[in-house]
Amino acid sequence: MIGKKKTIIVPKKKMICQVCGEREATFHFQEMTNGQVKELHLCEICAQKKGLGQTFFMPSFSLSDLMAGLTELEVPLSEEASVTCSHCGLSYGDIKRKGKIGCGLCYQELEEYLTPLLERIQGKVRHSGKVPKKGKVEDQKERRIYELRKELEILVRKEEYERAAKLRDEIRRLEREK
Amino acid sequence: MILQEMANSASQWSRADGPEAEIVFSCRVRLARNLEGFTFPPWAHDSVLKDVSDKVLNAVKRSHYLKNSRLIKMSELSSTERRFLLERHLISPEFSSGGPHRFLITEKREMISLMVNEEDHLRLQSILSGLQLMDAWRLTDKIDDELEQNLDYAFLPQWGYLTSCPTNTGTGMRASCMLHLPALAVTHKIDELMKNISKLGLVARGLYGEGTKSQGDFFQISNQVTLGSREEEVVDHVESVTRQVVGQEKKARDILLRRDGIQLRDQMGRAYGTLVSAYLLRSEEAISLLSKLRLGVSLNLFPQLNVQVLNELFFMITPAQLQVKEGKEMAPLDRDELRAKVIRQRLGELK
Repeated sequence: MIGKKKTIIVPKKKMICQVCGEREATFHFQEMTNGQVKELHLCEICAQKKGLGQTFFMPSFSLSDLMAGLTELEVPLSEEASVTCSHCGLSYGDIKRKGKIGCGLCYQELEEYLTPLLERIQGKVRHSGKVPKKGKVEDQKERRIYELRKELEILVRKEEYERAAKLRDEIRRLEREK
Repeated sequence: MILQEMANSASQWSRADGPEAEIVFSCRVRLARNLEGFTFPPWAHDSVLKDVSDKVLNAVKRSHYLKNSRLIKMSELSSTERRFLLERHLISPEFSSGGPHRFLITEKREMISLMVNEEDHLRLQSILSGLQLMDAWRLTDKIDDELEQNLDYAFLPQWGYLTSCPTNTGTGMRASCMLHLPALAVTHKIDELMKNISKLGLVARGLYGEGTKSQGDFFQISNQVTLGSREEEVVDHVESVTRQVVGQEKKARDILLRRDGIQLRDQMGRAYGTLVSAYLLRSEEAISLLSKLRLGVSLNLFPQLNVQVLNELFFMITPAQLQVKEGKEMAPLDRDELRAKVIRQRLGELK
């Protein structure tokens, strides 16, 4: 990957803006240009002049920006570059460099590499939230469980424990069948 | 044209009509979704992005919630206009860089909006006033169901909704509250609070992002992980932690009033004095003064004002907002002059 890439960093101490030399720097970037790393510390005004600044009401930097920063610094191993996804053609090396996964199929075809990454970020857990309504046949059971869990919550809140217990057994049965 | 119309009023969620709105400025739930069989936007060619946007816009047309929304094509906007949308919390910094086949769909009250081809194919969000995060989730959930009727989402039982960034995989949900915490800030309790919040598995940050100082004493609390817990559990957790922070801020306000009543009154009176008489106000200064005044209003020190007026002013005075409303690009000094005028006039009307 050749080209410039800006990553947001968090400085350890207060910095003065590198452009005006007066105000406190509030924007901290790391710029990668063809492998060369350069740090930039700018105050709001100078950052704005450079088109980097943000103003009040701006949503804060996303975790993914930081993620990209983390993975970018690791060097891809040759093995990681050789296995590619049959849909988007990306290797795990590519994904690591950008911090972004290529497509839905990557999750299956590059699972071996993505699983440790996901576990590092999210913990060793399985999805237990919402399931699409009309997904594939195997997902429909998941959707059913998701809906029953929602119902269960309502019953518990209403203190209808008898019906809740029945529903809980039904959920357990469905979960065992998975 | 659309943007100028938007610039004439503040978003509905700034109305301060939600629960605890004096402290909880707003709450927001956003969902990340991708279409099955299409490369994710950061890696996709223009033709793929076009196919995706066609499909999503088609689903939007059939959506009861979104069909009468404003459709904004990002490539047709100037950088100031894109910044305007960013300042209104309708788009992300990433989206504000523009790009082909990127659309923003926003419903007239700006409570619901959808970015097409951001980092994920769909980024759907609801923002409500005050602390009603569960309502924001329920609303977003419904619209998501509705859109899904005409779209095939990328999903795996193990990993949940598949997203471009592994930090969103699973629910694809970020639930956050934006809090105004001037009393905790003044009493230097913020750092400790932030530390405790991160121990609870949540992220707290200033408005400018992690590690940066927040402006105007506004802070955001949101969930960190997206895999393993159900949406309701996460929303509940963020809501209950926010409620605790609200309690602490209230306590800090009480103590401040009792202990340093006269100093506090003096500071707020001075802030008000500057705001009603200044002819030039830089963005930073205006925000810090408005923040002080907002605290004063919450403490009933300015009976002629209310929190909604202050919220609206925060909206009206951002650089892009001023320029879009005026319909022209302005030099910083001209903006400072206009900013002071807007504030002077609004507060003057309410003497």
